[in-house]
Amino acid sequence: MGRPPSWSHFFSAGNAVLKLSTPTAQTPITHGDVACPFCGLLCDDLIVRTDRLQLTPLANACPKALTAYAAAVPVGQALINGKSASLDQAMQHALRLLQKSQRPLLAGLGTDVAGLRATLALAEKCHAMVDHLHSAAANLNLRVLQSRGWQTTTFSEVRNRADLVVLVGVDLNSNYQNFMRRCLAPADALQPARRAARRVIYLGPVAQAPRDAAGLPVEIIACTAAELTSTVRALQGLLAGQTLNLARSKRRTGLFALAEQIRSADYTVLVWASGQLRASDGDLTISAVCELVADINRTRRAAGLALGGDDGAQSAVAVCSWLTGFPSGVSFAGGQLQYAPATFNTARIVADDLADLVLFISSFSRREPPATQLPTIVLAPPGFKGATAVDVYLPVGVPGLDHAGQLVRADGVVTLPLKQLRVSTLPSTAELLLRLSAGLHGRPRQ
Amino acid sequence: MTTPHLTELRGGRIYDPQAGIDGEVRSLFFSADLGIVAAPLDQKEVREVLDVTGCAVMAGGVDIHTHIGGGKVNIARMLLPEEHLATRTQRGAHPHLGSGVATPSTRTAGYRYAEMGYTACFEPAMLPANARHAHMELADTPMVDKGAYALLGNDDFYLRTLAAGTDRAVLRDYLAWTLHAAQALAIKVVNPGGINAFKFNQRCLDLDEQNSAYGVTPRQILLTLAEDIQALGLAHPLHIHGCNLGVPGNQETTLASISALEGLPAHFTHLQFHSYGSEGDRKFSSGAQVIAEAINRAKNISVDIGQIMFGQTVTESGDSMRQYAGSAFASPKKSVLMDIECEAGCGVVPFKYKHQNFVNALQWTIGLELFLSINDPWRVFLTTDHPNGAPFTSYPHLIRLLMDRTFRQEMLATINPEAAAASHLGSLEREYSLYEIAILTRAAPARSLGLTNLGHLGLGARGDVTVYVDHPDRERMFTTPKYVFKAGQMIVRDGRIVATPQGATHVSRVDYDPLIERTLDAYFERYMTVRRSNLMVSDAEIEDLGGSPLIRHSPRRRA
Repeated sequence: MGRPPSWSHFFSAGNAVLKLSTPTAQTPITHGDVACPFCGLLCDDLIVRTDRLQLTPLANACPKALTAYAAAVPVGQALINGKSASLDQAMQHALRLLQKSQRPLLAGLGTDVAGLRATLALAEKCHAMVDHLHSAAANLNLRVLQSRGWQTTTFSEVRNRADLVVLVGVDLNSNYQNFMRRCLAPADALQPARRAARRVIYLGPVAQAPRDAAGLPVEIIACTAAELTSTVRALQGLLAGQTLNLARSKRRTGLFALAEQIRSADYTVLVWASGQLRASDGDLTISAVCELVADINRTRRAAGLALGGDDGAQSAVAVCSWLTGFPSGVSFAGGQLQYAPATFNTARIVADDLADLVLFISSFSRREPPATQLPTIVLAPPGFKGATAVDVYLPVGVPGLDHAGQLVRADGVVTLPLKQLRVSTLPSTAELLLRLSAGLHGRPRQ
Repeated sequence: MTTPHLTELRGGRIYDPQAGIDGEVRSLFFSADLGIVAAPLDQKEVREVLDVTGCAVMAGGVDIHTHIGGGKVNIARMLLPEEHLATRTQRGAHPHLGSGVATPSTRTAGYRYAEMGYTACFEPAMLPANARHAHMELADTPMVDKGAYALLGNDDFYLRTLAAGTDRAVLRDYLAWTLHAAQALAIKVVNPGGINAFKFNQRCLDLDEQNSAYGVTPRQILLTLAEDIQALGLAHPLHIHGCNLGVPGNQETTLASISALEGLPAHFTHLQFHSYGSEGDRKFSSGAQVIAEAINRAKNISVDIGQIMFGQTVTESGDSMRQYAGSAFASPKKSVLMDIECEAGCGVVPFKYKHQNFVNALQWTIGLELFLSINDPWRVFLTTDHPNGAPFTSYPHLIRLLMDRTFRQEMLATINPEAAAASHLGSLEREYSLYEIAILTRAAPARSLGLTNLGHLGLGARGDVTVYVDHPDRERMFTTPKYVFKAGQMIVRDGRIVATPQGATHVSRVDYDPLIERTLDAYFERYMTVRRSNLMVSDAEIEDLGGSPLIRHSPRRRA
């Protein structure tokens, strides 16, 4: 990457309406086509009003986004051991801690592409381990990808092509709340017949079934979280003409009906969200779904779709892959890169005492750093609750609110530009990490 | 008072096909500011003299077709940790750690290209929906100039507009807008209409078959795109990955596709994969001679070969229809298929080419036969369709195969004997000269892409220069150049990287009627899950965030 980003003329002509308000602007400005950074969907049709430093979504924001925009505090105070400090002092202290550390862990990684590039640059400089806060969920997907591959699709394909959508344990009430509106229930589609015929089937615990399906017919096939994999396997067996080893039940009836629907559908999409599957066997569920998709594709068309990528997780996997060749769970400590997702994840690193310092980044959702006695540096937006409990707290802006940026969407294909919506004094994560990198003396070669 | 600023390469043999210079011994002068300049009147202007007596001096290599950045490349990286674990670079070998050979991490790709004397690389398959991502990866690929070709001709907007047959100007404006929005240098079509047809469960689409959703044929798409690209005045003609890739007997489709262009300029990429007959017991034979003759006759056509080499690699393509068929042969047994954003798709299938396998061995001979049987080196570019035929690091080996018949015969003796017997390769005596290699690997691709300051050593060239120690083993010669200069700055010396400059990004800018943006605003709002304005990659994203200067090629639109 080149010189540090200059955000001010990030947008080309054609986005004139999005010119930034100046710090002295008194009149509210309305921004259109705003990409929301608060989950992996990156809905980019929000309309957000900026009134000085106050941000108010006027249209198309989901409840989760509304809360997040309202909670985005524009001013922050750097802290050293809970005591107020200037940003420079706090940066100096962070630098000293990093300089002393032999085995730093860069965790959280909740930031945008520029922040992730800066994270990896710092990691290489200080021989750190890196791990994203949603790596456990990402690794469920990656395990399946790396063992068998998959056949998947993207949001606009689903919106236009799908006539049958199966939600495999996906809870659209607590997260991805705009998925129905944006991908499943649009007013129109390139193939209107597909849209008109569209059926949504929810597979999973009834309590998490979609409460608002935007007018779409939703059928529920109830099963517990523990039964998800066997339910998908049963469906796969039914489609293969096997007899079904399930007691007479509503689930059995539902699966028979679903198998028939799949047989006559032109484009079936099976959706999962690895972060909502059980950590213990979510990969088995995903694997079953992927096999089912492959089976259907022998004669008809079907595809999987993974929802996820919150807190920049999809971007982290992407950036880490192209810069190192490995998607997650990477260490720069040795004479060559090490890749071991089962070892280089925050929980294991802390439990096995592999690190001597934690630098934790959570610029979207202000997550808590791992509970540990280790020296801890946190980069998070103002309002981060544990700020006084850590060694150094560095307030940063939220990408897409306080500064411009870029993020990769959950489907892994589309990347969205994030706009700066207000002029706060908060630095970006990338800026602070690049400063730390520049200040750090290199380590001797190993 | 003159300040010394020039580098003089003294005593080298210059191979600069653009100027017709074939091994002439003379000095070459250049600086980082001015690029290549005439011999100075005052020798005091010369800052350093490098004695390159006996060396071959060429422009930096230009790879016209190499999958080095973007979604499918990154999927391949994620899919294959085993390849990356086996190929991690050692600390100190390069300025940054990395991994991978078939799908190297971005910086590693840049380093390896530079180490081989290449200074410009073009990613041939960029989906507009994935353009921002592709440019991010290219931004993190140092040492080389870069650019990318936007994929069109499977996107629903194009197909429905073509099917409606309304206003041709809309399609032209759409092409010009796409170049701008995706920051692309050229336009590519992959399996025209076929990727879209696969989404409607069509499993093949021949040249005159209709896409079931829109009723248009690959022939219509090819001809319309080729005409419109000519009308826009783009330097590089339509870049075609044709129908029926890899299908035995596809030579007929390829011949028909050449005719379908009705004499318009076009580039057929990875021709090897499209030059198969269906004769013999195994219903698989070489179509190389037939195709080479057709290319020799069709002066409007240029090609690159997509040579295969034996060993492990991964195939990655926008051609989801053909990659789905190929996934049955995945090795190791895993693959990724995607339908993408009502634009196109992708397929990533690991593959191991085996020299004792009849089909693979014949593929190897077909590529070489094409190289050796197409007469005009200005219309053939050296590629392996990295990494689909082989990783780009095999170029020196390929060059030796082309330049050294004895070596070629030795290699031929090691492959599947039935394939060797079925091939004409053994009877082909041609050996490429250094001058011809300079055409294939820099002069011709640069000219085809309209890169006026790359690919040659004349005045106005940027100063991308590679110095090879002449060695009878051409593989050794082309593996480790003595010096490599990027824009006049030394970046590699005796195989070691000494500087890591950021290359420029080349794009084409053609005027379009801004009304197309209104049309597209409505289309995107109604059907897509991104807004038109957000799809567009801004100049500042390339220049400021990416750190790559933009070089804008602005042809005059003809219609």
